[in-house]
Amino acid sequence: MTTSAAPRVERRRPVRRSGAAVARPGFAWAVPATLFFLLFAVVPLILVAVLSFTSWDGLGSPEFAGLDNWRELVHDHTMIQSLWLSVLITVLGVVVQTPLSILLGVWAAGRQRNRAILSAVYFVPLLLSATAVSILWRALLDPNFGVPSQAKWLFGDGNLFGHQASAIGVLVFVGAWQYTPFHTLIYQGAARSIPQVLYQAAEIDGAGTVRQFFHITLPQLRNTMITSMILMVVGGLTTFDTVLILTQGGPGTDTTISAYYMYQKAFKSFDFGGGSAIALVLVLIATVISLVVVKVSGYDKMRSTTEGL
Amino acid sequence: MKKRRLPRAVAGGVVLALGLTLAACGGGSSGGSGSGSFKVLVYGDASNKVEKQIVDTFNKTSKVKAVLQTIPGADYQQKLQTIITTKQAPDVFFNWGGGSIAPFVKAGLLLPLDDFIAKDPGLKSNFLPSVFNSAAVDGKSYGVPMRGTQPVLLFNNKKVLADAGLTEPRTWDDLLNAVKVLKARHITPIALGGGDQWPTLMWYEYMYDRIAGPGLFEKAMGGDKSAWDSADSRKALSMLKELIDAGAFGSNYDSVKYTDGGSVALVAQGRAGFELMGSWYYSQQQQDNPDFAKSGLGFSSFPTVTGGKGDPTDIVGNTNNFYSVLKKTKYPDAVAQFLKLQYSDEFVKAQMAIGNLPTTTNTVNFLDTAAIPDYSKFQYDLVKAAPSFQLSWDQAYPQTASEAMHTAVQQFFDGKLDADGFIKAMQALPTS
Repeated sequence: MTTSAAPRVERRRPVRRSGAAVARPGFAWAVPATLFFLLFAVVPLILVAVLSFTSWDGLGSPEFAGLDNWRELVHDHTMIQSLWLSVLITVLGVVVQTPLSILLGVWAAGRQRNRAILSAVYFVPLLLSATAVSILWRALLDPNFGVPSQAKWLFGDGNLFGHQASAIGVLVFVGAWQYTPFHTLIYQGAARSIPQVLYQAAEIDGAGTVRQFFHITLPQLRNTMITSMILMVVGGLTTFDTVLILTQGGPGTDTTISAYYMYQKAFKSFDFGGGSAIALVLVLIATVISLVVVKVSGYDKMRSTTEGL
Repeated sequence: MKKRRLPRAVAGGVVLALGLTLAACGGGSSGGSGSGSFKVLVYGDASNKVEKQIVDTFNKTSKVKAVLQTIPGADYQQKLQTIITTKQAPDVFFNWGGGSIAPFVKAGLLLPLDDFIAKDPGLKSNFLPSVFNSAAVDGKSYGVPMRGTQPVLLFNNKKVLADAGLTEPRTWDDLLNAVKVLKARHITPIALGGGDQWPTLMWYEYMYDRIAGPGLFEKAMGGDKSAWDSADSRKALSMLKELIDAGAFGSNYDSVKYTDGGSVALVAQGRAGFELMGSWYYSQQQQDNPDFAKSGLGFSSFPTVTGGKGDPTDIVGNTNNFYSVLKKTKYPDAVAQFLKLQYSDEFVKAQMAIGNLPTTTNTVNFLDTAAIPDYSKFQYDLVKAAPSFQLSWDQAYPQTASEAMHTAVQQFFDGKLDADGFIKAMQALPTS
């Protein structure tokens, strides 16, 4: 890329004011994306913020309700519980998926032919829509006709959706089943880009596979881990389709996570004001968590993992 | 370079064309010159067969054409409420009468049908009055009945009952006894699609009606929230609790759904004895398990409760579905002509053929032509004799109440709410 583009840039240079500005893409390149972002992210966000101070059932025009929705939210037991559930499902998702996808990703970064085939099969869940995946597992785990009802020695009463702990377990499992391949893909790419010289040097020093993994691979994957975890956190907090199809927030409100509660409020109870307030809370929490992750991890400094090479 | 630019230009053209098409869609079909057309929006399910036939019949003779649109079941209400204020809104739409249209009336979206009726009194007089009136809001008619009446019945698996030496329960004690016997035989006594929540609600509707009569709910709907805290209300709850605690519904009803065929299969396969469900249950079994529907499926009305104030022949369910008309329709005359077809002989015959029971006065003439005459006659007599036909609570209340109502109903069954908690939840519901 750079070699072929360089001469053209060279020729254009006299037209522009400064050389430094030419080397980087101009502001114009960001205009379409910025417009899209403004139109489909910022404007709706502002509208939702305004809506959260109104009472609106989707018909007629919204009526200003002051802080009513917010006051209600603070005292709403289901809302507070839903936040804890969202955080719990997110944390469990990260804890389950991260080690799995690192191990699988590093393994898949190998070069043998059988790995390529296995990896290809393994990525299939990634190609299915979350809805299809949820419907599939819903049928497989049906309390009357699914696998658990036939294997009661393993699953107790066979009703995985009927108890809070097992229902959450199912949600985390299905989420992991679908998204681990994606994160594996990221780790695979990252693992492949680790310079081979590091391993060669380690081998000369007599380090075994395990030590190589902990002292070279893992530290080299640091930035990838942050990226992957931020994606998991954002994905976890906005989990919705799996809950909608697998548990409907049940039993009772035992798996009613915030995103689902928002949907319930806005689109099932037609309380768009209340729903908007929940949506804003979610936006705030996701932003704060992302910022914390970035700060704590030093990701903002974008320190290279190949320093000194 | 030139070669590369061409596809991009093509892509640009496609995007532009797409945009134009979308813009054209936004314009809607109401434009058109001369004849034009109006949209009829219907809940998408097996009954659409008849709606399609009626629309075709109408279009044969009308200059203004009717266009049928359907939205799959579970999402109907949500999608309708989302589009009804937009350009995509239908001219005529399916609903459940009562609370399901009250917010639309309040928002000034619906056309009162009084003018239509003044021009053609048959539009009112050809329907059973109790049914026709359940789509009236503030004394004005807003809906014309379509499809069939849907009383809730207690269905059973004949073979399961026979094997256990049981007969169809006539009284509450019969039912409790049947629960005990079936449980001892390791069969779930009563299948319940608790995951959908509304099937659970049906048990409340009948218990409250049997014990307190229809007055309690009417009082509560009218805004008198003390009704929920009455002795009758508590008695109904304690009897329900007794049934739940007896293990009538097994332990995993909360994760079973009616809408995905779960509870339906339990009864058909003989793994459950009973299921309380609207009369559409028959056609569902007919579709899922035709052999069972033909010979294995039994039905009876809800058991009587001794000492209850309600008339033992009262029924609950959906009185019928209705067509309502939007005020902004450009073709009110054509719509009025279209609505007339809903009491035609052709309509009644077509509905009977798929097992529905229309609520027109001429229905009785066609009972013998029904898909299952015994079943249609049973329903017809039941509806005709019933002093009260309580509209499903979640349809009687405004839509904004249904989610909270469903949650309370489910949590009481699960033991997460006690009677006090349930009463408080019901009192917190908006009634208007």
